[in-house]
Amino acid sequence: MSARVSTSVAVLIAALAALALLTLTYGQIALPLADTLGALTGRQSTDLARQIVLDIRLPRVAAAIIAGGALGMAGVLMQALFRNPVADAWSLGLLAGGQLGVALTVTAAAFAGPAAVSFLTLFEGPSITLAAAAGVAIAALAMLALGRRVGAITLLVIGLMLGFTSQGLTSVLLHFAARAGGRIYGGWQDASFAGVAPEALPWLAVPILLGACAAVATAKSLSSLLLGETYARSLGVRVTALRHAVLAATVLLVAPVVAFCGPVSFVGLIAPHFARALAGTARILPLLPLAALGGALLALSGDAIIHAPWEQHFLHLNAILAIVGAPVVILILIFSPAVRQWR
Amino acid sequence: MLDLQSLTVGYRNTRGAVVSDIDLSAAPGDFVCILGRNGSGKSTLMRTIAGLQTALDGAALLDGEDIASMRPATRARRIAVVLTERQFNPGLRVDDVIALARQPFTGWQGGLADDDRVAITDAVAVTGVEPFLRRFFSDLSDGERQRVMIARALAQTPHLMVLDEITAFLDLPSRVEIMAMLRDQAREKEQIVLLSSHDLDLSLQLADSVWLLDDAGGFSVGTPDELSRSGALGGAFDSGAIRFSPERGRFEITRTR
Repeated sequence: MSARVSTSVAVLIAALAALALLTLTYGQIALPLADTLGALTGRQSTDLARQIVLDIRLPRVAAAIIAGGALGMAGVLMQALFRNPVADAWSLGLLAGGQLGVALTVTAAAFAGPAAVSFLTLFEGPSITLAAAAGVAIAALAMLALGRRVGAITLLVIGLMLGFTSQGLTSVLLHFAARAGGRIYGGWQDASFAGVAPEALPWLAVPILLGACAAVATAKSLSSLLLGETYARSLGVRVTALRHAVLAATVLLVAPVVAFCGPVSFVGLIAPHFARALAGTARILPLLPLAALGGALLALSGDAIIHAPWEQHFLHLNAILAIVGAPVVILILIFSPAVRQWR
Repeated sequence: MLDLQSLTVGYRNTRGAVVSDIDLSAAPGDFVCILGRNGSGKSTLMRTIAGLQTALDGAALLDGEDIASMRPATRARRIAVVLTERQFNPGLRVDDVIALARQPFTGWQGGLADDDRVAITDAVAVTGVEPFLRRFFSDLSDGERQRVMIARALAQTPHLMVLDEITAFLDLPSRVEIMAMLRDQAREKEQIVLLSSHDLDLSLQLADSVWLLDDAGGFSVGTPDELSRSGALGGAFDSGAIRFSPERGRFEITRTR
């Protein structure tokens, strides 16, 4: 790792830790930093502080960090795989595909009867993760097939449109599912880190950790793919196998995020650009930790803003991410040399 | 040593065989120019030799090993290619592009060792791409990009270099410079260089050996002298407007009007 990359990693970790600590101290009830630290370390603190920090705020903060990191890494993989600077799990409709997968499963269970619903409730973690994974994988395969035929910008537009379609279908399905007795917690359709229960955290973290390992394992070959398929083959890369491996890594990274946090927008699209600017290279391996940390920082910042002690709770995560993210994407589309080439 | 043994290249569809039954060899240090008109099968032949396309029949052997059945990693250590196809590479800088040439030699992380750095520095020096090492690859002009891809191929320290129409975007002085540099590299590093080109005059002056493809799927091999005297060059390129003059050893425009 170059000095530039390791310094950036260290600075980002410090920033993330500071922001996480800050986010734990405020909310409906403000807690002094000392109480928060006390609750975290298990030393002298009140029961109330411990409950607020450990049971309510920490799972949310952890979910934001894990999900943001996963989306950042998935963005790096997808932008390299599609050789498209505006590709990510959200913009190409993978998140919406995953949502549709979850919605279909919940609806099917609701109409199958109470036994199916209670089965789904009992095994909520694995079942909705698998449902989301199926949806994400189908959406990813469809986009990969399309990506070889259409240009980068066309692919982006198609991805967004398919995303809207899937989200529309999801909301219709969930409406009928609710009437038949199937439920998924509120806020999920809009993206939120607040709905992740402490016991669901492993279901979020473990697949993402596996996905991160897969991403690291494919990083070297994926770097060659930046030169195009033929050059990658001339450098000894088995391109079809690589594509499948990257796709598997992406599904592992993205499916748990969809299942537990909903369609978190823009994070995966922006984090890779941030990482490339910091690293000064497009090689995949150094980008992965930087994009993970950048994504985590962005997701946690969004969460910190919506949970700031406003008079009333009025902000949605995706609203914040869109206000920050959309202008960045517009700038990328206008100024990125890579995009200029595609027009 | 590159040996082609009754090699037939082409496609398994209606296009069929493009060039059939080639038997020849090239020795380390040979600078070979492949000449022929558009559609005569130069690229197909080169892609097949580079192991990027399967042969319809026969085999291409490098140092006695069948290129088509080599492990991809082994092949990548011995054969480098430069092609005409253009690719878009988000955020890739020139130094990244050249460093990627060392991937077949590095560990799972792709980190560079000392000999990797030496190979890169050498390649950068002989191709003169030093001034734009930190620029984005996609910001370069076509000519600069071609130079970078040649530097990348050199940095791969191959036994065989396959270069398809690499001089197309370069001006005349750069073409002469690049082709002469590749010929010197071939001699110095004992590499076989296969280069296809539309630059007939230059190729005939520089090549140790010429592989000539005509439109009818015919194939002839020889030194530039042999081919011009035998009339093979004229056979492949003469048209209403241009004619090869064996006496002068170059092409001339025929004044038919």
